[in-house]
Amino acid sequence: MKGLISSAFAIILVSGLLLFANYQLEHKAGQEGKDTISVYNWGEYIDPDLLTQFEEEEGIKVIYETFDSNEGMMGKIEQGGTAYDVTVPSEYAVQMMEEKDLLLPLDFSKIPNIKHIDPYFMNLPFDPDNHYSIPYFWGTVGIAYNASLLEGQTFESWESLWDASLRQKLIIVDSAREVMGVSLNSLGYSLNSTSLQELKEATDKLETMGPNVKAVIGDEVTQLMINNEASVALTWSGQAADMIYENDDIDYIVPEEGSNLWFDNIVIPRTSTNVEGAHKFINFMLDPEVAAQNADYVGYSTPNSSALSFMDEETTSDERFYPDEKARENLEVYENLGLETLGVYNELFLKFKMGLR
Amino acid sequence: MKKLGILPRIYLAAVFVILYAPIFYLIYYSFNSGGGMSNFESFTLEHYEAVFQDTRLLIIVLNTLIIALLSGLLSTTIGVIGALAIYFMKNKSARQTVLSLNNILIVSPDVIIGASFLILFTLIGVKLGFASVLISHIAFSIPIVVIMVLPKLLEMSTTLIDAALDLGASRKDILTRVILPYIKPGIFAGFFLALTYSLDDFAVTFFVTGNGFSTLSVEIYSMARTGITLTINALSGLIFILTMVLVLGYYIIGNKAKSPQGVKK
Repeated sequence: MKGLISSAFAIILVSGLLLFANYQLEHKAGQEGKDTISVYNWGEYIDPDLLTQFEEEEGIKVIYETFDSNEGMMGKIEQGGTAYDVTVPSEYAVQMMEEKDLLLPLDFSKIPNIKHIDPYFMNLPFDPDNHYSIPYFWGTVGIAYNASLLEGQTFESWESLWDASLRQKLIIVDSAREVMGVSLNSLGYSLNSTSLQELKEATDKLETMGPNVKAVIGDEVTQLMINNEASVALTWSGQAADMIYENDDIDYIVPEEGSNLWFDNIVIPRTSTNVEGAHKFINFMLDPEVAAQNADYVGYSTPNSSALSFMDEETTSDERFYPDEKARENLEVYENLGLETLGVYNELFLKFKMGLR
Repeated sequence: MKKLGILPRIYLAAVFVILYAPIFYLIYYSFNSGGGMSNFESFTLEHYEAVFQDTRLLIIVLNTLIIALLSGLLSTTIGVIGALAIYFMKNKSARQTVLSLNNILIVSPDVIIGASFLILFTLIGVKLGFASVLISHIAFSIPIVVIMVLPKLLEMSTTLIDAALDLGASRKDILTRVILPYIKPGIFAGFFLALTYSLDDFAVTFFVTGNGFSTLSVEIYSMARTGITLTINALSGLIFILTMVLVLGYYIIGNKAKSPQGVKK
C-alpha cells in the first residue's frame, strides 16, 4: 500500500514539475499580450520564425495548431468547441466550407497586401471574387520519375504512363480525382468532366493501365522515391520538390495535355473570435518578404508575385514548379462537381483499385 | 531461465532484430547532417539542438507527458476501483455484463470514440483543450486497467481474505493490507499500459485537441504531407531512451515486489 501511495505521489510530483516547466516555456515563448489569434494549418506548412516575427510586430500572440487532412479540419470546425481564427483548406474544401456556411467573408480594406497576389490566381471558380479565401500555396499534379532507373522515358505525355516498359513500376496517389483526371486528360477531356460517357471511357482506359501500377498510396511515396525503391510516381508538385531536393536523379514533369492546378488557401472560419487579428495575420503573411521566406522554408510555390524577387533565382525560374503562363494554359482547377458526380468519380476509382491484380 | 536450444535462440534474436531495427534506423539518422533519411552524410547533434530550441515542440512534448502521467494515474485509480467492484459483484450475469461492456470499449475503433467525445464535449460546452484530452484519455484507459487488474484479483485465493477476517482484520485492513499488495503488479502493469496508450494515441486525441493544446502524435501525423524532419527523429530517440529508463524502473520495482511475499505494512 505504501508503495502504491508513494508511486502516486511521485507521479503527481513529476507532472507538477512538468506543468511548471510547461508554464515557464509558454511564457518565454509568447508575448504577454491580451490579444491572441489561433491558427490551424497543415503540419510543417509555415516557417516558425515568422510566427515569432508576427507576435513581435503586432503584439498578438499566436496559438498554432496543425491538422493532417481537409476533412479532419472541417470536422472540427463544423463541430465547434474551438476558436480557430485562420485556417488553410485546399480549394475544394473552401467550396465545401462555404456551402456549409463555415467561413467569414474577408474584408479587403484590412488586407492591403492582397495587391501582391498574382491576378492569375485570383477569381477562381471555387471562390469567385475571392470572397472567402486567398491563395497561400499552389502546385500541380504531374509525374515524378527517376531517370537513372528508367530507359530514357521523359513523360511529356500522359500516354507514356501506359507504356508497357513500366510494368509494375508506377506508383499513383490514392485520390479519385487526381487519377481519374489523368485518364480524362489523356483522352483530351476536361478533368471536371461530368459526362458519364467520358467518365466511362476514362475508366476503361484506366483499367488498361492496371498492369503498370505497383501501388496506390499517399505520402509514403516521397520516401520510396528518394530511396530509389520506386521509379515513377503520379504525384503533386510539392511532394516532387521534396523528392528532388533529396535525390538528384529525380525529375518532375507536367504532361502537355494538361493537368490539375491546386491551391491551399487562407480563410477565416466562422469559429473566429478575433476577426481583426485574423486579418492582420493574413495581411502579414501576404507581405512579399514574409511570403518569400515562407516559400523558401516550405518549398511549395507561392502565388505572391512580388515575393518572387526576394527568392532564389534558381527556384523561381524552375518551370517545373513555376510554370510560365503558356504552360499554365493547360492547367485546370478542380470545380465542385456536386456530391452525386463526386460519388461517381469515387466509385469508378474504387472499381479500378479493386480490379488491380 | 532454462537453457534454450540454438534454433529458438536464433528465432528469438531475429524477432528482436526485426522489432528494434526500425527504431535504431530512425535514431541512427537523427545524427545525420544531411537533410533526410536517404544517405548519411556526417555526424551531427544539430537535430538534438533543434529539439531544445523549438519551444512549441517542447511544449507539445511536455503536454504529452503530463497528459500521459495524469491520465495513467487517474485511470489506474478508477480502473482498480472498477475491477474491485466487478470482483465483488454477487450476481454472476451482472458481472459478465459489466465485463463485456468493458471489453466492448477496448475493441471499439478509436475514431468512433474520438468523434463521440468531440460531439459530447461540444454538446455540454467543455472547451476543447487540456481538460477534454485528459478526460478522453482517462476514459479509454480505464477498460485497459480493468483487464490488467482483474486477472490478478481472480488469481488471488479467497482463503487469504477469510484468514484475514479470522484474524480480526477490518474491511479497510483487508483492502489495504491484503488485496492491494497482492494485485500491485497488476496495478503497475495497468498504469504503464495506460501510459503508453495515452502517449501514442492519435485518433481520439485529434478530435479533442483544440485552443492551442496539442500532443505529439497529432503533431507528427500533421507533418505527413510535407515530410517529417530529422528533428522528430532526434525527439523519438530521446523518448526511446526515456521509455527505456521507465521500463528499467518498472523492472526494478517488479523485482522488489517479488522478493518478500505475503502481507506487508
